[in-house]
Amino acid sequence: MLRFYVWLYVAFLYAPIAIITLFSFHSSASLTFPFEGVSLRWYAKIFSDTTFLNSLTNSLIVGASTAAVTTVLGSLTALGLARLKGRIQTVFGLLAFGPVALPGLFLGIALVMLFSQVGLQRSLVTVTIAHVLFTLPFFIEAVRSRIEYFDLSLEEAARDLGATPLQSFRLVTLPIIGPTIGGAAILSFALSFDEFIITVFVSGNETTLPLTIWSMMRRAVSPDINAASVISLGLSIGLILIGGLLVWYQRRLALSARAKDLET
Amino acid sequence: MMKISRQERMGLGLVAPSFFFLLVFFIIPAILLFVCSFWMAQAFRLIPAFTFDNYARALSNTGFYFLTWNALKNGLCTAVLTVVLSFPAAYFIVYRTRGNLLFYLILVSWFSSYLVRIYAWRVILGSNGLINTTLMQLGLIDQPLEMLLFSPFATIVTLTHIMLPFGLLLLVSALRDVKKEYVEAARDLGASQTEVLTRVILPMCYKGVVGAFMFTFVISAGDFVTPQLLGGRDGMTTGILIANQFRTAGNWPFGAAMAFLLLAAFLVVYLGFVRLLDLLRLAPGRRFHD
Repeated sequence: MLRFYVWLYVAFLYAPIAIITLFSFHSSASLTFPFEGVSLRWYAKIFSDTTFLNSLTNSLIVGASTAAVTTVLGSLTALGLARLKGRIQTVFGLLAFGPVALPGLFLGIALVMLFSQVGLQRSLVTVTIAHVLFTLPFFIEAVRSRIEYFDLSLEEAARDLGATPLQSFRLVTLPIIGPTIGGAAILSFALSFDEFIITVFVSGNETTLPLTIWSMMRRAVSPDINAASVISLGLSIGLILIGGLLVWYQRRLALSARAKDLET
Repeated sequence: MMKISRQERMGLGLVAPSFFFLLVFFIIPAILLFVCSFWMAQAFRLIPAFTFDNYARALSNTGFYFLTWNALKNGLCTAVLTVVLSFPAAYFIVYRTRGNLLFYLILVSWFSSYLVRIYAWRVILGSNGLINTTLMQLGLIDQPLEMLLFSPFATIVTLTHIMLPFGLLLLVSALRDVKKEYVEAARDLGASQTEVLTRVILPMCYKGVVGAFMFTFVISAGDFVTPQLLGGRDGMTTGILIANQFRTAGNWPFGAAMAFLLLAAFLVVYLGFVRLLDLLRLAPGRRFHD
């Protein structure tokens, strides 16, 4: 019974995505059954659209910059939180989670207010700042549980054996938390790539992919939106899968290495 | 002065960059927005002042209450549906499966872009959409069901679809704290399935359920894109009104005041929800475990 329900739940989650994907390959402009035939014409159309290509490039740039900044800030924070205790840890943990506890609308209007008051022109830079604010809480949450189990005495042992702080980080800490950080960086990229609600307020003339899809949606229902959607879906889901596999593979390697150590 | 250990000093140094970032781009903007809600706007220019006019203007307008009610209704329906639909799935994942494959399968769908999902529901629910044309081809209806799209129904279905994976994630991590042994012990001591659920599992994962409910509620009640694209005229919400102040119409202080009124409404719902669980005796009276 319960098993059947859960598969229904999964089907409900994927059905709309499957339908859009199916109709992106439809040879006619109709979005209804019967399905008339397969064609790539909507993909050809979307790939000749310079607005689409520009916004795709912009989204990739913003996603990569966001992931880079968030990874640096987030890793430092997670490592710092492991060293803090009691009230400071709780207060900072709450503060760092704040941006996702509020609706995106609120963050968007607060940021646009700040940017206009200090006279910062809206551009891809302001978009990146907003995305870092939005992805940082997820990054910290994703990495934190792993780092909480991290034994600080391992670092201390390295220090006692004469390693510099940088060496102990590079040779002891990083190999342990590295895969988790890599996974969380990819998560940040994917979140940034899909972000729309905050972006709509803080973007200037240069648009990102979700903004382009939004304006396509407001114009008319044309089947090339399907193709644009599938490209967007494919990129973010594909990335998440690669990230997940990477983390899984690293963990397996680490586990088998440990098993071998125990044998000898 | 409290003595700070070397480890702690290093910890503070490590969190400092993020703290600075959050201070500049989260705390200061939020304060600025609050301050601005007491300002005036004239011809798209902000004039610093200290006036309650923006709040008075919103609160004296019956339309504002109507739109806020719409927003809260979207949020409540979505949150209830998300928690109720996700809880059995989370239960299944935590207690009935060994691997994480199913869990990951659900989480991955979270990364199917937000806008794309709104668009997909528009294709499915539209008057020339999949549901209507299929029903008509089967001869079950002669006229397309117009109320499917551009209605609060469409908004709630879509928001629930968007929130399900995230709600599930929060519920799964809450249920993972309730060890299998407790559940088994309760069964051994003669508790029925329902008793295990209401007297063991729910009180122990209380925080997680409240968390999942509130997150879903806040995000979907504050969402303005879904109601704007799918909600139709009756589905207008405060969120759309606030967003419009910052895009076209341009009275920022008025928009800021409405945003804080909306947050106040969220707080009221939160307190009400916690009180309700308390009355239903689902909240823990004391700590059950560490």
